[in-house]
This record gives sequence, C-alpha cells and structure tokens, in this order.
Amino acid sequence: MRSSLLGAQRLRNITPPSPPPSGGGIQGGGSRWRNHTVTIFLAMTTLLVLAACSSGSGDGSTSAPAASTAPLSTVLNGVPGIVDPTNTGWPRTVEVLNGLVTINAKPERILTVSLGHDEVTYAMVPPGRVVATNGYTKLEQHSNVAHLAGGVGAITLDAEQVVSYRPDLVVASPFTKADFIDALTNVGIPVVQTKLHNGPDGRIQDIILLGYVYGEVDRALALADEVQARYDALKEVTGAKPVGDRQRVLSLTSYSDKIYTAGANSTEGGIIKAADGINVAALAGLEGNPTTSLEGVISMAPEVIFIPQPPDSGEPFREQLLANPALSEVPAIKDGRVYVVPNKFFTTLSFWNLRGAEDLAVLLWPDDFNAGEFTEFSFPK
Amino acid sequence: MSRVMAIGAIRTDWSSSNISVVTRLAAASAVLGVLLIVAALASLSMGPVSIPVSHVASIVLEPIGLDFASYTRTEELVIEQLRLPRIIVGALVGMALGVAGATMQGLFRNPMADPGIIGVSAGGALGAVAAIALGISGIFYQALSVFSFLGAMGAAFLVYGIATVGGRFNMATLLLAGVAVSAFFGAIVSAIMVLVPSNEALREILFWLTGGLDSRSWEHVRLAAPPIIGASTIIFVMSRDLNLLMLGDDEAKSMGVRVGVIRPGLLAAASLITGVAVAVSGTIAFVGLVVPHMLRLVVGPDHRVLIPLSAVGGALFMVIADNIARTVVQPAEFRVGIITAFVGAPFFIFLLIRNKRHTTAF
Repeated sequence: MRSSLLGAQRLRNITPPSPPPSGGGIQGGGSRWRNHTVTIFLAMTTLLVLAACSSGSGDGSTSAPAASTAPLSTVLNGVPGIVDPTNTGWPRTVEVLNGLVTINAKPERILTVSLGHDEVTYAMVPPGRVVATNGYTKLEQHSNVAHLAGGVGAITLDAEQVVSYRPDLVVASPFTKADFIDALTNVGIPVVQTKLHNGPDGRIQDIILLGYVYGEVDRALALADEVQARYDALKEVTGAKPVGDRQRVLSLTSYSDKIYTAGANSTEGGIIKAADGINVAALAGLEGNPTTSLEGVISMAPEVIFIPQPPDSGEPFREQLLANPALSEVPAIKDGRVYVVPNKFFTTLSFWNLRGAEDLAVLLWPDDFNAGEFTEFSFPK
Repeated sequence: MSRVMAIGAIRTDWSSSNISVVTRLAAASAVLGVLLIVAALASLSMGPVSIPVSHVASIVLEPIGLDFASYTRTEELVIEQLRLPRIIVGALVGMALGVAGATMQGLFRNPMADPGIIGVSAGGALGAVAAIALGISGIFYQALSVFSFLGAMGAAFLVYGIATVGGRFNMATLLLAGVAVSAFFGAIVSAIMVLVPSNEALREILFWLTGGLDSRSWEHVRLAAPPIIGASTIIFVMSRDLNLLMLGDDEAKSMGVRVGVIRPGLLAAASLITGVAVAVSGTIAFVGLVVPHMLRLVVGPDHRVLIPLSAVGGALFMVIADNIARTVVQPAEFRVGIITAFVGAPFFIFLLIRNKRHTTAF
C-alpha cells in the first residue's frame, strides 16, 4: 500500500498537457520531451502499482471487490476535472468545459456525440450501456468501435432526437454548440463536455476522467495501463533511434482537388511525434490541418508520406502523387515511400491514435518491428 | 443614372469617334497589359519552393532561345507544371468574371449587377455541391467542373425561359427570376449541406464555395480557355450593340440592333463564361462587380473600351489575389475567394467614396 500511495502521489503531479510551441515538432523540444517522459514514466509506474496492489479499488460501480478508497482518491486527485477525488460514490461532480456537472447515479444509458468519445466510452463500458452514438462511429472505415456500435441509434445534433433516446448522460465534445447543451440540460439530462487530447499524458487523463464519470474507474485504470505500456514499448524502439536517423514525415489527404496536411497540434502530428518521425509540416510552421499545394509538398521535402484516408479515395491520390512529374524529385516520391494508412487509426481523437503511431513506426523502421505485431486494444468483458 | 450612362456610351459610337476609342483602348490596355505581365512574372517567381528570378526567366524564355541561367529539373517542373497553369487559369477566370460583370451591368443597366444576379453562379455552385455530396467528384477527373458548368447553364436557361414566357422578353422579370432562382438553388445547397452524411464532404463543400485555384493544371487551362476566350470575343464584337441596348429596346431597334438576337446572345455568352469560370475555380466573389465598376470610373461607360479592359483588369486582379493567397501563409494556402473579398471590398468602398461626386457616369 505504501507503494500505491507513493505512486498515486506522483500521479497527482501530472499536469494538463500544454500545447507545443509553434512550429515545434521534434526540433527544439528536447527538454519538454524529457519532462513528458519523466511524467509518463511516473504515471505509468503508479498505474502499474495501483493495478497490482489495489485491483478492484472500485467506485461502487463494478463487480470487482471493493478496496480502500484512499489510494483511489489520491489517484483521482491528479486528474483535472474531478472536483472531489475523495467522493467515489454518487452523486459525483466534475468540472468540465461546460462548467460544474453533477451526475446523480451511475449512468446506464450513455449517449456520446463524437467519434473520439465513442471510442473511449466503448473501451470502458459494456456496449449495452450506450444508447446512441455519432454516425461516424458506425462506419468501419472511420471507427474502431463500429462492430460494437452497429445496433444503437445514430444521433444528429438535434436536442429532441437526443432526448428521444432517453439518455441519463450525454458526453459532448468542445465543438458541440452551447445551445444544444443548454437544451439538454434544461430537460434534466446531464451533459459532460470534455476535450480529448492527442498527447500521451492527456490521453491517460481523458480515460480516467471519463472512467470516473461512467463509474468505471477500475476499468479506466486498466485501460490507461494498457495504453501506457504500449506507448512505452513503442518508444523503447523509436526513441532510441539517433536523431540523425529520424525521417522527415508528411501527412497528406486530398478531397476534391484540395490537399490537406497536418502540422503542429494536429492529431496526425501527434502520431508522427509518437513514432519519432520529424513532422515536416510542423517544421514549416504549419499548425492544425491547413490546405497546402503540390509546391508546398516539394518545399517540405518529405522522406515518407502517409495518406490517412479510405482506400477508395486514398489510393487514387497516392497514384496521382507518384505519377506527377513535378513531384519526381521529392524523396518520398522518388523512393516510392507513399503509403495509404487506415484513417481510423490516424485521424480519430482517442487513444486509438497509438495504433496509428505503431503502424507509422513499422513504416519508418521496418527492420525493428514484425508485420502484424500490433493488435487491437482490449474491451471490457 | 442609366440614361446618363447610355448617353455617354452613344457619344463614343464607332463611326463618330473611332480614333478616340482606339486611342483610349490602346493606352489603357497597354498599362493594364504591362501590369498583368509584371504580376504574372512576380507570381511565377514566388512560392513555397524558392526559385531565383533569373532561373524563372530562363525557364520561361527558353522556348524562344533565351537561356541565360542554369536551373534544376525541379525548378523547371514547378514553373511549368504548377505555377504557370495556375496563373493562366487565374487570369482566365478573372477575365471571364470581369467581362461577364461588365456585360451584365450593361445589359441590366444596373451598376450592382454581376453574374450572380441571374442565378448563374448559384447554378454552378449547386452543380458542384451536388457532385461532391453524391461522391461523383472523386470518380472521374473534371467531374466537379462538368457538373458546375451544367448547373450554371441550366440556371441561365431557366431564368431566361421564365423571362420570355409568353413570347416577350421582360428585363424586370429576368432580374426577379434570377433572384428567385438564386435563392432556390441556395436553399438546395443549404439542404445538401445539412443532409450530407460525410463530414469530409461537408468540409469540401464549404471550401469549394469560397473559391480557389489550388491544384489547377493544364487540363483546367484546356477546359477553360476556348469557351472563355471565344465567348469574350463574341461579347466584344457585340459591344456596340450593348451600348445601343442601354438606350432602350425601341431606340436600339430603330438604330438597327436586332434586340431579339443580341440580348439573349449576350446573356448566353456571359452565362457561358461565368459557368466555365465557376467550374474551374468555385464561386469567387467581387471580381465581376468590382473590376468593371473600377474601370468604368476611369475610362467611362463605352463597352467597346470597357469589355476588353475588364478582361485584362479581371485577369490582373485575379493573378494578384491568387499570388497573395498562395504565398502569404506558405506552404499552407488561403482560398483566393477570401483574398478577393478582403482586397476588393475595401478598395471598392474607397473608390466609391473618392468618386462620390463623379458617379453620375454610372
């Protein structure tokens, strides 16, 4: 228990992820990266110890045997948004983007409005507790939980339609309109509006916060443990690569003649960083997912290009890039290192991004990984 | 106001002041032409890939035997395959919108008229949005352009058909029908945006509606150049008749204008070039309104001068706007429609205020 307490105390020191500096990418981020590594290591250690020593610590919501609430509350104290970490009963209150929200009882009819939240939710609660999801969540090409979401309703952002599903909790994203949230709140449905992060420590916080909201903290800790372990295993290989060996990577997608890239603070940029590639779009000073041009691609001179979009549109775009004479001197084109990758791993804003980082690592360092080495994440039994 | 404009136009009739017209046209064309060449060369020299001006000049002039600097294959490809076709498409689109705007303003005797007023832009937008929403835009190359062109022409014929119901053309009916058709097509576009299941498709629709010249190629040049140049030439040939039409149908007929042929001919030609422009660039605001209006303030309302100058001026405006769009945040890009609105609107207001006391010419 001493170990648990010590580890939990360390977890309290996890701070919310701060945005990387403009144009940061890998370059110039050494000290920040070391700080993250230390933080992640401490968090991971804590989670591993907790998982071993306080299994079934329980918040009164799982079948696991209840344990002392002391270490659990200490763990929860490190997670932004949990108002009273000592409260593991119901009602419980969280402070999220739409303010203080009190959940009176363990939610049994959950409805989420974004794909990323759906993926985190299905990883923590049995499918029967989800009553409706984002429409995207049902699409195999875009969603990692489509096989679980097939039987539930798909929502639009119409409050009355959402009410018709009789949810006892709605989970919203930062892009959900305030009037939609107000409308649901006014009819007595608690709405938890949270941001999903694309950094490793932020992902852990997202998982634990939603686990607390759902009354599934044990499962959240186990999932956080699993995610962190896979991340550490990946970094053990890619992080050991000499800086001079790291490759210049560019994410490109194309829809209706327009080309989009992924700079700093983008989901794809976070994946490139996790796989220890150099995000050339971030190096060029781009942020988010702006449009670029073929000339922009030439100027960024990537050694590897990945295309995170469905094969039916991604493959023709790949062929266009490879066949365009103007791009013939671009290293990635010259060497044929242009890959269409599963967009459900690379564009969704959930811990499933780590699968994208694993896939990208295989493309960047093929000698260090076996094909098919990486598998799905676990789901609650 | 339109009467004043018409009288001004009549005073510059070919037969009475041929030299004056030719002189003004030549002088203004020379100025705008030089500016266009300078803007095009500047655009060729600027972009995410840094290419020395001497290399650009050598690449451009090499076909005529002038080769005064060595350049790399990449530089040559960037100029030949990326920048040059894009600049030409931009110039063609600007030319089309400028000519169409001048024609519409003359035909409707309304300084606020532009290709959007008779629903042509809305029709083009609907065609393109439908292609995106139905997923057709990804199936074959140029699908977006073809659908946009069909939408623009469909709208033009629909509006003109409404205006000629009963066998007699009515200008007021045409304008009102244009407003109604634009609103109706706009509502369909909004409905598609609400119902489209894919967020990517929705994003594409929003981006397309702001207009842009990214990824334009020689294919787009081949698609746009013949109809735009051809129809613009036809409009220029009919510019004297356009001057006379501004006096009113009866007076134009008495001066030998075949009103029943010339008016729909001008409308069809203006719709055609607008549709083609929308097809290759999306909906780009302000060019068709601002460019003819600015030029009219400088050279007067004679369409024999105004039409060709609107072609060159529109091309110049678009080349400059697109250069800003593709270089200001490089290697990312702005949409050129954003730039035309940002640049065009304040400049237009400035000119209106500055020329407030002289706007009786239009």
